[in-house]
Amino acid sequence: MSETLARSGLRVRTPAVYGWAAAALVLVALPFYLDRFWLQAGLFAMAAALGALGINLLTGATGQLSMGHAFFLAVGAYGYCLFAGDGTDGLAGLGLPGWLAAVLAVALAGLAGGVFSPIAGRLRGAYLGIATLALIFIGQHVLFNAHDLTGGYNGRAVPPLSLFGLTFDDTELLVAQVPFGAVEKLWYLGLALLLGGFLFARGVLRGRPGRAMNAIRDHRIAAGVMGIPVARYRAAVFVLSSMYAGLAGVLLALVFQRTVPEYFGMALSLEYLAMIVIGGLGSVAGAVAGGVFVSLLPQLLTRYSDALPLVSAPGTGGIAPGEASRYLYGAAVVAVVLFLPGGLARLAVRKPKSPTTQSPTPTITEPSGETR
Amino acid sequence: MTDDAPLPGPPDPADPSGTSGPADPNGASPQADPTDSVIGPVTGPDVPALVVEDLTVRFAGLTALDGIGFTVRPGTVHALIGPNGAGKSTCFNVLSGVYRATAGSVRLGAHELTALPPHRIADLGVGRIFQNLALPPRATVEDSLMLGRHRLTRTGFLAAGLRLPSAAREEARHRARVREIAAFVGLEKQLAQPAGSLPYGQQKLAELARALCMEPKLLLLDEPVAGMTADERRRTASVIAGVRDGLGISVLLVEHDMGLVMRLADSVTVLDFGRRIADGTPGDVQNDPAVVRAYLGEETAA
Repeated sequence: MSETLARSGLRVRTPAVYGWAAAALVLVALPFYLDRFWLQAGLFAMAAALGALGINLLTGATGQLSMGHAFFLAVGAYGYCLFAGDGTDGLAGLGLPGWLAAVLAVALAGLAGGVFSPIAGRLRGAYLGIATLALIFIGQHVLFNAHDLTGGYNGRAVPPLSLFGLTFDDTELLVAQVPFGAVEKLWYLGLALLLGGFLFARGVLRGRPGRAMNAIRDHRIAAGVMGIPVARYRAAVFVLSSMYAGLAGVLLALVFQRTVPEYFGMALSLEYLAMIVIGGLGSVAGAVAGGVFVSLLPQLLTRYSDALPLVSAPGTGGIAPGEASRYLYGAAVVAVVLFLPGGLARLAVRKPKSPTTQSPTPTITEPSGETR
Repeated sequence: MTDDAPLPGPPDPADPSGTSGPADPNGASPQADPTDSVIGPVTGPDVPALVVEDLTVRFAGLTALDGIGFTVRPGTVHALIGPNGAGKSTCFNVLSGVYRATAGSVRLGAHELTALPPHRIADLGVGRIFQNLALPPRATVEDSLMLGRHRLTRTGFLAAGLRLPSAAREEARHRARVREIAAFVGLEKQLAQPAGSLPYGQQKLAELARALCMEPKLLLLDEPVAGMTADERRRTASVIAGVRDGLGISVLLVEHDMGLVMRLADSVTVLDFGRRIADGTPGDVQNDPAVVRAYLGEETAA
């Protein structure tokens, strides 16, 4: 695969290859220069991008709206705590090695998606969105009340991950005179996971499954007539999307080092939808761009709240940074829908030969004219 | 290429009779690779007959189809005509599994189609084009045609996501076949363009090519030349004739262009208000008083 990548890259887009190499180098070097705050913000962005990749497969590429993405993030995060916890804090824990717990947590999120998939296969578009709302309420209820499992309101501490003898906690490790704590080590894990998730999603979308998914989104009835088992595909994409959410949940938990139930509410689901709309529905690069944008914005505003007009530190009377960022990406969603259908991803590919299409954007609602 | 029916030569748009036969089997398949063995099922020799019997469809109180019946003999073009609202599209939707029949049966060879969902009917080798375009506008023509290969390919989420060599091989093999079929309908130059950027007539042609990419045994064509220029009509007519004569595929055709129907069809069924009012060769049907009445109204009223 890398061979073909390099070959096609060298022949057609040498500057692009250099650009990617430079970006990769910068990303790898960052932990040596940035402080903890920025690394943590970057890790949140990576986790958000992973989750956005998942929901973009479902909502962007297949046209199936999901409001329940936060639920599957919670399953991943709490699942990891459950599998990796050793039970010393009085909460349920199986004491499995960290890496195994992470894999099982992702599988658990997939399983949860699978349990819901008979519904996900039968409902289309916005109807699925309404059905998945239920997941949020069920999830919140369980998270707050299943005390032995989730720690209730206060949440539970996240056991550190260990991989190949390396533990991702704050025991300092000196690399080239730079002390590496949890965030520095997790940075590389996050990069690897995001790269893997990105390439996998791109492979899916460019291959046979992706064509079928887009056909279901664009012309559901024609898709069936072309031989695509529509319900089975919807269900499968739902499971895959849930697994991406689970992986994002595990990474978030590791970065937060504590999982709290109120984080996994409806607002989080809406944030993920905002990410893919801003980034570009159905685009892999767009999901990453949108995830980074939406998750970095509040952090940037918090950091520079004293320097910005109208925004003030939380609790001092002005607009809190979190609130301000919500206004901003709300405005960004509106601006994208009005002026940049196709999202940030479209911006990148706009320069060459654009006048070919009237580019209708994929919509969540059913465009097909035929009804039963 | 042993499993693939060889495509007849590219249809000649200048041929007004619309019956360019298999002139040059090699001309259309430059990419044909003798080691490429398993792409599609054998079409041609084992094309089954489509038998529709006593087909009735009711929506609430409305009877859209009232006990109609006809047979599409293997390797023929059978036209289904009638005034607007006669039930032609309803009939198509039942044949491809989109609507459920209220009563009656549709058999393709040994298979009863009325109980099957659309994708299972497609698996039996029934391809269809829609009256309104159903092409994703932003995908390239080549990718749109690859969608037609869906039922003939196996690559799943894992293989595609991990880019396994088996997935890449399958993809390359089927893209070669897609290029052949595109050349057959005359779209080889448009393969890299987004389907939505093509003129309407070429989009309809691309949809026909996509249906052909399913390697069907029976093609359901819902107004394939509607909205086309005279030139595109001729080209499409010769493609349809080439499909029948070169590949031996049965074609069920709904079309309002009577010239085309009379030229192409081997037999014709006429519907009016959900009932069959005539069935026979184009010549018979043309002079049938019931058909003339349905199209032109009662003579006494004039």
